[in-house]
Order: sequence, then structure tokens, then C-alpha cells
Amino acid sequence: MRPRDLVETIRMALAALVRSPLRSGLTILGLAIGVGAYIAMTSFGQGAKRAVVSQFAALGVNVVRLQTMVDDPSVGPKPAHPLDDADVRALRQELTSAGRIVPNAHVVVVAAARGRSYSVGVIGTTPDYFSVRNWTASAGGRFDANDLAARGKVCVLGATPAHELFGDGNPLGATLSLGDALTCNVVGVLAAKGLSTTGRDLDDLVVIPLTTFESYLGLASGYSEIEIEALTPSLLLTMREDATELMRRTHEVATSAPHDVRIVSPAEAIRAATNVSTILTRLLAAIAAVSLLVGGIGIMNIQLVSVAERTREIGIRAAIGASPGQIMLQFLMEAIVLSTAGAFVGVVAGVTGAWFVGNALHWTHAIDVGGVFTAAAFGVSTGVVFGYTPARRAARLDPIDALHHE
Amino acid sequence: MSPTDDTEPRFIIEATGIRKVFSELGVSALDGVDLRVAPGEFVALRGSSGSGKSTLLNILGCIDRPSTGTYLLGGRDVSTLTPTDAAWVRLHYLGFVFQSFHLIAADTALENVALPLFYAGVPRKDRERRALEMLARVGLADRAHHRPNQLSGGQRQRVAIARACVGTPKVMLADEPTGALDSRSSEEVMELLLDLRRERSLTIILVTHEHDIAAYAERQIFMRDGRIEKEAMHAAS
Repeated sequence: MRPRDLVETIRMALAALVRSPLRSGLTILGLAIGVGAYIAMTSFGQGAKRAVVSQFAALGVNVVRLQTMVDDPSVGPKPAHPLDDADVRALRQELTSAGRIVPNAHVVVVAAARGRSYSVGVIGTTPDYFSVRNWTASAGGRFDANDLAARGKVCVLGATPAHELFGDGNPLGATLSLGDALTCNVVGVLAAKGLSTTGRDLDDLVVIPLTTFESYLGLASGYSEIEIEALTPSLLLTMREDATELMRRTHEVATSAPHDVRIVSPAEAIRAATNVSTILTRLLAAIAAVSLLVGGIGIMNIQLVSVAERTREIGIRAAIGASPGQIMLQFLMEAIVLSTAGAFVGVVAGVTGAWFVGNALHWTHAIDVGGVFTAAAFGVSTGVVFGYTPARRAARLDPIDALHHE
Repeated sequence: MSPTDDTEPRFIIEATGIRKVFSELGVSALDGVDLRVAPGEFVALRGSSGSGKSTLLNILGCIDRPSTGTYLLGGRDVSTLTPTDAAWVRLHYLGFVFQSFHLIAADTALENVALPLFYAGVPRKDRERRALEMLARVGLADRAHHRPNQLSGGQRQRVAIARACVGTPKVMLADEPTGALDSRSSEEVMELLLDLRRERSLTIILVTHEHDIAAYAERQIFMRDGRIEKEAMHAAS
């Protein structure tokens, strides 16, 4: 097959398809919907997965959390060991796979400023708390090591209390009372992060230095939590085991007894959530693949009709010397032209659709490039697969019968 | 695969003991036909409908295969060709003209005439030039871009004859070529066939049941019940 012949065959196929524009248009539309749906669905799935991951990332991805079970009745009659500075020191000394270690304490107080009050969770922690989570300030800054050392009366507001207490006004530099004992200066407001996947408001908190928390709000039941960041993501699992082992040893927990601290890592939750969205993506892709299949069947159907309608024409072509292969190629090429046009329209529609959906939901990189290529490749090859049977039927027609066909 | 590569044979068509049985009916359309045609001969096949003359023409035209018997075209056996090889023989050695013209309705006269050249792999420019020359030869150069439904019956048949001749075939097979034409157009078409035959040393096999059309041929073969009943020779016209 010379390239020139191929160009001629494509030209001939185009001419045949242009002769029935409505029919060709609808067939192209059928496949375009399949290709477009596939792209839109895989992009939607990918976008959802990325959104889930980025929400979890707001809580720190590469970390293990040790949480106290002091107030947990499920632990049993014996009060659990509270997490304290000794634990932090032990972890810093022995846990070689650990990077930053961030203790924090938590209490709910009534915050008041400018005559308004709002009940809010206060976190006392170290400056690393922000960097482990990649939290940035939308206004002002964050407290630093100096504030921590000096038990500085400073606080950083989440977006929710900032709005509740100050409305549209500027909270920076304002004085905020947290409970009865502490009055502090607002040095920063955190960028809004929205709701977590479990529906928790990630912006509903006030963060102060851990030392300030200890002095004015008290650490009666120890730290609520110690966050340990792994040096590399691959060390996370080992670190989790080492930390568990270390806690059991230093807390002198009996071999048969349950853990006295809860150990959680968001990596697991992320894995679970991404698994769910992967299944969702595959499901959507499968549904879209069905519409791709339907588009292919549409091509096959229209080509079968075309072969039946043009039986006499096929007979004429055969009589004047067209080989079965040439007749087959002619009809196959028509199907391929249809499917290529369908794939092209589908890619344009699918990418545009995914872009609009992504914009509406504020997802970044919502278009799944792999999905676009897969859909385009499947769309084009649909013509070959579903055009084959009608083309073969045309090629196998008996010239005499075909000529006498009415 | 070139029937006339060697020395020019005595007969361009040499069919021996041709039988054609339609298995589903158990009827034999041809029942032992022997036919020899010399190059350049003009043969008319005559007979009533059902006599087997169209079946014989289809076999001679390689669009049908005999059930038994051998058919040598230009000295080569073409009675058992694959569909692809038969198409090749049709493309390069045979030209067809039909009663109902069998032009492709969506294509112009020029495109119809150029079609065999397309299947022969002739480049587009050459194809169009040769097709236009051929159309001019049949007197329709000014109708090149008309579609069949914009042409009269006689004009359509001339386009079909141009299409049959454009690939310079050795044998032209005409199945009732004037059957759908008035007498004046019929005469024009027959004169055209005679002229082309002279110019191109064409062999013509023509099926007809009309006496005055058969009279253009120098040799008439009468068929009946799948056999050759008798032959008649005329002086060459």
C-alpha cells in the first residue's frame, strides 16, 4: 500500500461520508459522546483523588501521631500514661528515623475580642506545627522559637475564629482573651483550608506557643498529641513500629496489655481514601467505556446499512476490477474516518468539560492526560474494530448478486 | 499473471466443456459449452432468456466461475482464480458494458471513467488526463463534470463504454448494451463500439436478443437450454 493510495482512499472515504452529512454527523456524535464521557469521567476521578489527597495533606502526610488516651474510658480502670516531655525527649533521642517532633496540647476555651466571644479549640504547640502541615498565613505571620522560649502572649487565628470574632475587620495586632487567664496578641491569620473529608472545619482553631499554653492554660493531663515526622516517606512504617515499641518500653506496659497511647498515621487514611476514589474512577471509566462501546456499535451499524445500500455500487466496482482488498479498505477507511472525527470531537468536548467541572470545584490539574490519550486511542481504533465486519461483508459480496441487487 | 505475455495465441478465448450448475436449484445453466474466439473478433451471443447466454458472459468476464470445464484467456487458465486474481484479470484484460449502464450515481462522468485507473494505481493527474481523453473519444468531453442523472441514456452508455475502454482491455463484454436505448442512440453506441474495436483491436462479446444489434457482429452464436445451438457467420462489416 503506497502512501499515495492511502491518501486517495481517505479522500474517497471523506467524499462518501460528506454525501450523507446528517448520518455521518450523528455517528460521529455517538462516538464523540463515548470518548468525551471517558475523558470527563477519568478526569473527574483523578481530580477527586487529588482533592482528597490535598485535604489530607493539610493535616501532614508523612507523620505518625501519638495520642493520649487519658480521657478514654475504653482503656479500662487503670488511667493511661499521659504524654509528657519525657516522652518527647525519649523520642528525640532514640527514634533515628524521625525528623521534626511536635508535641501539642488542646483545650476548648471561650475566646473574646472587641465585645464578641466565640468558643474555640486552642492548640499549644511549637512553630514546627505549621511547617509539618505546610500551613501558611493569609495575614501576618506565625510565632517562632523566640516566642516559644519567652512564653510569648501571641496567637495565630484560624480563618473561622478570625471571621467569627472580627468579621471583615483586620484582627492583626488585636488583643484576644482566651479563657480567664490569658490575653494575647494576634500575630497572624492562617489561610483557609475548608472542611476535611470527614466534615471537620480545619480552620476552627487558635494556635499559641506550647510554653504559653503550659503557663496560662495548664498541662494537667499532659500533651494531647505528639506528632512525629518521618525523615522520608519510606521510613514511615518502621518509624511507626519503633515509636510504638519505644512507648510501650518507656511506659512499662505489660506484654499482654493493650497500648496506652493511640498511634495513628494519616498515610493510612489517605491510602483508604485514594483506594475509594480509585475504585470510583474505575467505575466511572467503566461506565464511560460502555458508551464508547455503544459509539463503536453505532459505527458498525451505520456501516452495515451503508454496505447494504451500496451493494450495487460494490458490484459495479468489483466488475470493473476492484479487488476484494480494495473494496474492504474503502469501507474500513470510512469507518476509520468516522471514528477519528468522533475521537477528535470527543477529546475537545471531554477536555473542555473536565476543565469547566474542575474550575467549578476549584480543582487543579483536573484533566487526566492519560485518560485523554487512552480515550483518543480507543476511539480511533473503534473504527478499525467495528468497521471490520461491514468492510469484510462488502469485500465478500458476489459481484453478480451485487450487480443485480435492487 | 499475464495472459498475453508469451507468443500471441491463436484464440484469445478458448473455453472447453463449460458447465455451470446452480447447486441450490440443481439446475444447470450451462451444459457443456465449447467456444473459441480469435483476437479482434466481434461475437454476438443470442438466445431467449434462460438460454444461458448471460451466465456464459459472466464466466467469460471472470465474475463467475464454471462448475467444470476450462477457460483459457489469452492462453492462461482463468477458470479457477481466487477472487483477488479474478479482479486483477478484469482490471487489466476485460471491460464491461451493461444494459443499465451501472455508473456510480454519486460520481461525475470523469470520475466514473477514471475509476478503473484508480484501482490500477494510476496517479491522480494521469488518471484524470487519460479519462478526459477517453471521454473526448466518445464525444462527451463537455459532459465530464456531469453526474449520470444529468445525462441521457445514450450519453450514459457512452460514459460506460469509455470506462470499459480506459484501461486498454483486450476483450470487451457487453450485456444488452442497447437494451435501454432508443434506436438512434442504439445505433450511435454500436457505431462507437465498432470504431473502438477497429482502433484498439478489441475483441467484443455481446449478448443481445435483438436481431438488428446482433447483425453488427460478424459471428452470431445462438444458445438454447445451456448449449450452443448453432452459429452463423456474416461478412465483416
